[in-house]
Amino acid sequence: MAYKGLREFLNVLEKNGQLLRISEPVLPEPDIASAACAGTKLGDQSPALLFENIKGYTTAKIAMNVHASWPNHALAIGMAKDTPLKEQFFEFVKRYQTYPGKIERRADAPWKEVVIDKDINLYDLMPLLRLNQGDGGFYIDKSTVVSRDLNDWDNIDTQNCGMYRLEVKGRNRIGIQPIPEHDIAIHLARAEEQGKDLPVAICLGNDPLMSIVSGMPILYDQSEYKMAGALQGEPYRITATELTGLDAPWGSEFVLEGKIKSRVREAEGPFGEFTGHYSGARNMPVIEIDRVSHRKNPIFEHLYIGMPWTEIDYLLGINTGAPLYVQLKENFPEIVSVNALYTHGLVVIISTKRRFGGFAKAVGLRVFSTPHGMGYAKVVIVVDETVDPYNLPQVMWALSTKFNPQFDLVVVPGMSVLSLDPGSDPEGMTYKMVIDATTPKAPETHGHYSQELRDPAGTQQWMKQIGEMVASAAKQGGSR
Amino acid sequence: MTAEKLPMCPRCETDKTEELTKSPDPGVWVIYRCPTCFFAWRSTEPDFITDPKKYDPNFKFKPEDMATFQVVPTVPDLIKR
Repeated sequence: MAYKGLREFLNVLEKNGQLLRISEPVLPEPDIASAACAGTKLGDQSPALLFENIKGYTTAKIAMNVHASWPNHALAIGMAKDTPLKEQFFEFVKRYQTYPGKIERRADAPWKEVVIDKDINLYDLMPLLRLNQGDGGFYIDKSTVVSRDLNDWDNIDTQNCGMYRLEVKGRNRIGIQPIPEHDIAIHLARAEEQGKDLPVAICLGNDPLMSIVSGMPILYDQSEYKMAGALQGEPYRITATELTGLDAPWGSEFVLEGKIKSRVREAEGPFGEFTGHYSGARNMPVIEIDRVSHRKNPIFEHLYIGMPWTEIDYLLGINTGAPLYVQLKENFPEIVSVNALYTHGLVVIISTKRRFGGFAKAVGLRVFSTPHGMGYAKVVIVVDETVDPYNLPQVMWALSTKFNPQFDLVVVPGMSVLSLDPGSDPEGMTYKMVIDATTPKAPETHGHYSQELRDPAGTQQWMKQIGEMVASAAKQGGSR
Repeated sequence: MTAEKLPMCPRCETDKTEELTKSPDPGVWVIYRCPTCFFAWRSTEPDFITDPKKYDPNFKFKPEDMATFQVVPTVPDLIKR
């Protein structure tokens, strides 16, 4: 499976009953954000929304909630829409481990149909809008920003594709949030210490896998394009941009080329963030756009972000847990599963076998030094291999019974976290903790765990039998 | 013909704002920008966005406040050659 672009994926969503076209007239604000927010409040099976009649615009189309449910995520990675979450996770892990995948370079791309390199006004070219009422402006928050290390320009593996929030602050002026823990901040620091601008390409309206890969905490020298190739099992198509030479996805709707101005910081924000809080206003870098390329009648893809859960929690859930799982398993093959679904993995739950006392705490502490853990992973909960980290009632049972704060709580001061964490103090610094909710293993002896309950003999067979009887009764009921 | 009077910035309340664009379907809305605090807004947004008196005080700031905002990421030292 390999979607060649957003349009192809929207067609697949529609055929699967996972896309709603909104053809009634809507106001840009607040209707589009409100509808997208409402969609995710309806549950984890909700459809994407395609707005086709936006007041004041004549041809604009805006796609929202493209990844905003588990069926949509399953379809995005080429699985059946009813694939359970855990199966999606382990299939993702399996494909991830085939890295590096292949890339396919193409000279021409549909986004080269229209080119603007004079008098650029992004407000004329895109249906920009406000998402949350406290936002300081109109944002692009679902794009792939491509950059390279100026000192290692020809290295495609360190070329970075990341999803960063972008405030459109003027006709061709964009504020960007390169959080220090993210790879683009490394490129920017290397450019700025030489006093040079950093070329960037902002690619918007992509195939669904590119958005997933752009938000993945993979290693600095792993290529997102090769990761996309691995995940889709086919070469990933890219096309070199004209002005900067950076590689863009072949299928993008828009490609904006420009540069981050060296050593410039100016007011940006606030912006309603994935933490369910606004970011506050900060001084951040600025991009000047020099060239815009886009398809004819481009589709603008946008993402509502606010109080969890919103689209971003589906988009950045499995793709955060999978790299963590693989990176941790290299050190600890005993690890069984990793759940980093909550608030972009500020909380991480790990199930693992243990070889000796203290083992679970070591596993938990290792999370903090992974690429994801450096900026997120504030609370790590470690549970036995028999507890499914995706089953929160089971996790709560482990916390309730296996965890004794006298023995099982490890608090680490002075750790890094992204500055958007509203609990960090000062911004970007936090204590972190590991909660060891596993059964103690020798020589650790505390507690009384020798009489843990097991299900009565034959429960598994009864589950199968009762499940079949329920399905059969439902079928008969449905055929009446 | 006299130029239309531009609105005050609802957030930082400076009066030097500019028009960014008008709706492609004429007469539906206008988008404005404040070049001082970079706030942008559309004329059809609710009055608690467009009216400086009704804009949420928790989200207002003065132009001079911007100098004290946290810098993210910090600017590195220049490499000495």
